[in-house]
Amino acid sequence: MDLDTPVENTWCPGCGDFGLLNAFKRAVSELVEEGFCKKEDLVVSSGIGCHGKIVDYLHLNSFYSIHGRAITTISGMKLANPNLQVVAFQGDGDALAEGIGHIVHVAKRNINTTMIVHNNEVYSLTTGQFTPTSKKGFKGKSTPKGNVEEPMNPAMLALASGGTFVARGFVGKIDHLKGIFKEAIKHEGFSFVEVMQPCVTFLNTFKLWKEMTYILENHDPSDFDAAWEKAKETEKLPIGILYQSKAPTYEKELLGTLIPAQKKGAPLEEIKAIFSER
Amino acid sequence: MEHDRYSVLIGGEAGQGTRMSGILFSQIMNKVGRYVFEMDDYPSLIRGGHNFSVITSCVSPIYSHYDDLDVFACLDDRSYDLHVKKVKETGTLVYNSEAIKEDVKGIGLPVYTWVKEEGNRPILAGTVGVAAACALGGVDFAILEDSLRKAYPKVADVNVSMAKRTYDALADHIGKYPIKMKDEKIGAIMTGNEAIALGAVAGGMKVYIAYPMTPASSVLHYLAAQADRLGIAVCHPENEIAVMNMALGCAYAGAKTMVGSSGGGFALMQEAFSLCGQSETPVLCYLGTRPGPSTGVPTYTSQGDLNFAIYQGHGEFSRIVLSPSGNNQAFYKTAELMNLLWRYQVPGILLTEKHLAESTMTTNVDVDSVKEEEPLVYDGKPEDYGRYQDTESGISPLLFPPVENAVVKASSYETDPLGYTTEVPSVIAPSFEKRYRKRKAIEEGLRQVTTVETHGEGKIALVTYGSTTLSVMEAAKHLDNVKVVQVIYLEPFPIWSVKEALEGAEKIITVELTISGQFTTLLKHNGINVDGSVRKYDGRPFDPVDLANRIREVM
Repeated sequence: MDLDTPVENTWCPGCGDFGLLNAFKRAVSELVEEGFCKKEDLVVSSGIGCHGKIVDYLHLNSFYSIHGRAITTISGMKLANPNLQVVAFQGDGDALAEGIGHIVHVAKRNINTTMIVHNNEVYSLTTGQFTPTSKKGFKGKSTPKGNVEEPMNPAMLALASGGTFVARGFVGKIDHLKGIFKEAIKHEGFSFVEVMQPCVTFLNTFKLWKEMTYILENHDPSDFDAAWEKAKETEKLPIGILYQSKAPTYEKELLGTLIPAQKKGAPLEEIKAIFSER
Repeated sequence: MEHDRYSVLIGGEAGQGTRMSGILFSQIMNKVGRYVFEMDDYPSLIRGGHNFSVITSCVSPIYSHYDDLDVFACLDDRSYDLHVKKVKETGTLVYNSEAIKEDVKGIGLPVYTWVKEEGNRPILAGTVGVAAACALGGVDFAILEDSLRKAYPKVADVNVSMAKRTYDALADHIGKYPIKMKDEKIGAIMTGNEAIALGAVAGGMKVYIAYPMTPASSVLHYLAAQADRLGIAVCHPENEIAVMNMALGCAYAGAKTMVGSSGGGFALMQEAFSLCGQSETPVLCYLGTRPGPSTGVPTYTSQGDLNFAIYQGHGEFSRIVLSPSGNNQAFYKTAELMNLLWRYQVPGILLTEKHLAESTMTTNVDVDSVKEEEPLVYDGKPEDYGRYQDTESGISPLLFPPVENAVVKASSYETDPLGYTTEVPSVIAPSFEKRYRKRKAIEEGLRQVTTVETHGEGKIALVTYGSTTLSVMEAAKHLDNVKVVQVIYLEPFPIWSVKEALEGAEKIITVELTISGQFTTLLKHNGINVDGSVRKYDGRPFDPVDLANRIREVM
């Protein structure tokens, strides 16, 4: 399936986002070919940052949202039309600084949405400041003497918030990442995918992460405690589906069979009845 | 005519059911053929504070409560201290003799003992208030009993018993104020927020999203309770930032959506309000004003957010701001605003005040006259679709996913006609111009609807807006040679109809609930000479008699 757009790609040569984009395109193409959904059912959204440009590079329905809010934008879409398959791309600063509160609540709500966090541990479009995932001591433009804060662990945040699908991928393992994306989109409920995605310009961790990451094996994703232990690891970074469980989705619980965006006409008879009752 | 006006205040501690009693009494007045205006006053507390409702009714339309009381049903000592001076010379104080120990002029009833004997729920005290108001007005006990049974089906007997005790104790005073009654219901009794909620649904609203904040919360409560019946979705997310961004997502997917809050919550929505402007996504924003800045005085009224509404957001884009007076207009205009926002793909603000939001009044609307309008939808080849296609009117046809072979790309960035990000000057300028052309289209659209309403004939024009219009209309009954001019649409400012309404006016006086005169300044900016201005900023609405006196001072 052709998902290319006429837009010139302005990511730096070698940017980790290329791998993420390729993995996503392949995941989506396969899902459409396998009949999971139609191309037009998909809507993607992004925040602001290098990651956000991805919506311009995907020939899919999209809403280029604002910093930190893409997950709320697609939550609204899902609420209005649960038949849409919605995916939000957000950067680590975008998702975990500006928009962190939404992650906690979207996970708690278990609305059937997918959130893909491009984690490169640095703000790149604003030319190199520390983010919530930057290591302590990272020298960015706003922390010239070194960041004094401990980094945040996105997977643990998603697990602690009640996420029913929590995964981590690495752009150096595109096939594996594609598989995670497919499972995340197919998951009925909120799915959270942290993607280790190096910035070649401001903090090139490509080699480091290639050494640090390993594919999860003999791991039971339905075991929360095991997922928690795996998420906690920092010496080595396990990639794969850390956790997956089943829970009722927000939109089904709230709406039943209602599809607000497709309901035609105003219920004037009911309104008249209400007036006469009062 | 004034002799028929019947004003009652039911006051007590929070938890004594004064609010519910006020509404019930309003319903009874409606049922016996009388127009009602009820103002509820309550502090930001749940228990122990002081609450009161003032209910004024009349056989002819009435637009405000009156503070000069015929009956004061006083359930606690604080109510006595605060309101006893409002009782007319001919009025009657009915009081809780177990709360007010001093020697007072009135009819004392052992309310606490009765409450104790009827099951000891403090909320029962309120029923004494309704019953006293009914008894002194000469309402047949059977009508009161019927209303109580309908209002409190699970605890009907104890409430009827409380009412019976009250009627018996007031046996010598039944019908002391022989108000005119007829066996004909006048309209529907509801709050402004309920009328607005129903207006939005009549205008095609399918999703309401809000985070609680007084005085907007009751829209959320009402619509949540009615969601299944009305076939809508109601969502209460984590904060106002989520509210507004979710609303954008809903509108993108094709659901007409409203959000609601007060000043502080709206401040949080500003960034996404601008996103509506850039992405051309229509969202109806209900802004219920309370005195600010910041937390201000949460449960009282003000018009201090006019400038905030008109100038909301960063960057340049069109929006529509309208402010209704009472329930009837609020119902129609909310539906109308929804149509306009979707026609022009802009955000809009329905600006109200606590005084409309939470006052209860007689409502008469022709529901069938509301016509939901379909927005402009693209009907060309799907593969050629571009969300921001340039058009003469500036309005680009919409599509809502899923549409086979079409890609719908909305954006917070400046884009080309297909919706792809651009920083190219020759693309940016036409996009700005396209959006700016919509402003002209909106102005043309506003010329087709009622943007200004004039009441009465006189050489002195009392110019006002929002629910203050109601106070001014009622005050005008006590004034000669005045006409009331209400500016309904505030942005774009309908200068054409304001000028027409003010033609021949010898004096122009503004009335508003601000200290700085935001509305007055708005008129002046539009070239209207203002000769005098009456303002109030203590969180309370005008009393019509006081307001008439203040207008006379500047006439």
